[in-house]
Amino acid sequence: MTSKFKHDIESPLQKQNRHKAMEAIRIINTLKDDFKNPIESMNYFYKLFEDVFCNQKSLHDGKLKVGTMCIQIPSEIIYALDAVPIRLCNGFYSDDEIGSDYMPQKSCPLVRSTVGHFASGNFSDKPHLIYSPTTCDQKTKAGVTIESFGYEVVDVDFPRVKDSEISREYFRRSIREFAIDLSKKTGNKLNKKSLKQSIAKIGYAQSLYHKLCEYRKKKNIVISGNDMFFVTNAFFFDKIDSWIDACENLLKECKQREDENLFVNGKISPRIVYTGSPPIFPNYKVPIVIEESDGIIVADETCSSNRMFNDRVAVDEWFVNDMLDSMADKYLKACTCPIFTKNDDRIRRIIDLVKTYSADGVVYQSFAGCTVYEAEQRSVLEAMEKEGIPILYIESDYSPSQGGQLTTRVEAFIESLKTRKRIKK
Amino acid sequence: MKYFVGIDIGSTSIKISIIDEKKNLIGSKTSASGSMFYKYAQETLDLLLKELEISPKDVVYTVSTGYGRKLYKEADENISEITANAIGARASAKEFGEIKTIINIGGQDSKAISLDNDGNVTNFAMNDRCAAGTGKFLDVVALKLEMGVDELGEKHFKAKGTPLGVSSTCAVFAESEIIGLLGNNHSVEDIVCGVHYSIAKRIVKLVKRVGVKEGIYFDGGPALNEGLVNAIENELGKRVFIPKFPQVTTSYGAAIMGVDSFLYDQN
Repeated sequence: MTSKFKHDIESPLQKQNRHKAMEAIRIINTLKDDFKNPIESMNYFYKLFEDVFCNQKSLHDGKLKVGTMCIQIPSEIIYALDAVPIRLCNGFYSDDEIGSDYMPQKSCPLVRSTVGHFASGNFSDKPHLIYSPTTCDQKTKAGVTIESFGYEVVDVDFPRVKDSEISREYFRRSIREFAIDLSKKTGNKLNKKSLKQSIAKIGYAQSLYHKLCEYRKKKNIVISGNDMFFVTNAFFFDKIDSWIDACENLLKECKQREDENLFVNGKISPRIVYTGSPPIFPNYKVPIVIEESDGIIVADETCSSNRMFNDRVAVDEWFVNDMLDSMADKYLKACTCPIFTKNDDRIRRIIDLVKTYSADGVVYQSFAGCTVYEAEQRSVLEAMEKEGIPILYIESDYSPSQGGQLTTRVEAFIESLKTRKRIKK
Repeated sequence: MKYFVGIDIGSTSIKISIIDEKKNLIGSKTSASGSMFYKYAQETLDLLLKELEISPKDVVYTVSTGYGRKLYKEADENISEITANAIGARASAKEFGEIKTIINIGGQDSKAISLDNDGNVTNFAMNDRCAAGTGKFLDVVALKLEMGVDELGEKHFKAKGTPLGVSSTCAVFAESEIIGLLGNNHSVEDIVCGVHYSIAKRIVKLVKRVGVKEGIYFDGGPALNEGLVNAIENELGKRVFIPKFPQVTTSYGAAIMGVDSFLYDQN
């Protein structure tokens, strides 16, 4: 057959970029188009994600890019050494498919897709070196696999118990080691002034997040949970100053929208606290289904959002080593990751969020293969039952085809919450 | 002169090929299956014979294939479309070289067939559970976008943004997904391009199940859609060969089988 059109075959790299762009644009468009009263300042974030994931735009050329796994590596230190932190947790199904060749079939999709991303080596901003806190087994082992692709991966010792003094000392040492190592690699010395400045900057960024969350505590809500996940996910890779500017604009608009009575919730929309495996762009499968079914995510307990921003570094002595210790304490003690044993703190945090944000129910998602979340659901479910808080437990993954069954379950849960609300009234 | 007929009765259309003893394709014709496919098959054959000025008496052997193959009682033999497709593809791709892999998209199913060096079918995979990734899927899309199915290819090459994927594997749900995309003012071109890639991804998964071997041949009506061809080539990262008349490969293969059977019977 003779061809009427000129068409060349894509290179494997182009093909992969197209796959990711198709996944990304789908979610961006859903948020832009499918919900009522869109916020104009969110366009910054939509464009950011489109630039990075559809157009492969680099944001940090000329800087030393430090990849981090999980949230226990203090960004404050990285910024103070004039480098850029890039969180490597990945949400792409296309990368999950690649990663499946390197990780066990039963491992979680987040780890598989992170490994897949490295296997392809196709980054908008490729990290120069990687720091991997020894959190869950899968992340730890993923570090070894990533190393085999020719990347430099440094393990950062992280304890599995956080209540003891031993683990506190252990992690303090670990953070000092990390600071020394990165200092060598950047060729910059860590000094009081720069560290203090970066603590202040991250603290300010956190305060903006908390201000945004204040709006979510109110009866009528100006910003959706999905938009909030966009904002917090952007913190993984955006230029910190641009992110701060964008959040300031967002706050202004939230105020304005409140004055104009422009809300995202309906009259009886159930208020949801989301917990469990983190929604990482573009895998917003569950949060989107929740909000499309008329639920509103008012708060979350995940490492891609609330857990990352909740507590701030509290310093009492402004010497370098004291600041490092304070950071170690914040990143260990305040963390509610399910890898810890025991982990009553996480349950306490969820109940606290439900009360503070007047939530009607909790949705707990666990990625299939994420043993720690799967194991912890039992104790969380029991605790919620004791408190009389309705909870829905869902197991999911990154595949795009789960649609129907998942939607039905979430819808039924949201409807049951609505019925409760009606009866209460 | 002896002639051999291959009739492929599919879900959407009937394809007929007539060849001579040397297996040269003399002529072919397609028509819609409709509600009376047996009658339509007969009429189409009569018409083709008339056009080619061949007397029905000179047709010595008829082989039927496709979903409706057993319902065409006049056939001397009937064979599965997998076998017929493999034979037809190998014969019609002589100019192209050795065929090792066949992608066939029909009206209601899609297939990937793997051949060995002698052209024997070694493995095949079929997606026949629903209309996902089939010609019917393209029909549904074209209907929704108010265009002919033959216009889809052109639209594909005019897409400017990122192709807008349709993730519903069900044709019925895909339709509502397309309505959603249209409602949000996305261009028809980007939607069409996305639909082609969605189908291509599914097909390539099927092909990977039997193994991707160089010498890939793509046939069935949807092979006329250059946009879909482009999407499949990109997903495979390899060129595929499209015959001149991709719709009639299977009926051509059936006719060739007729020659072999006839000669075998004679000896």
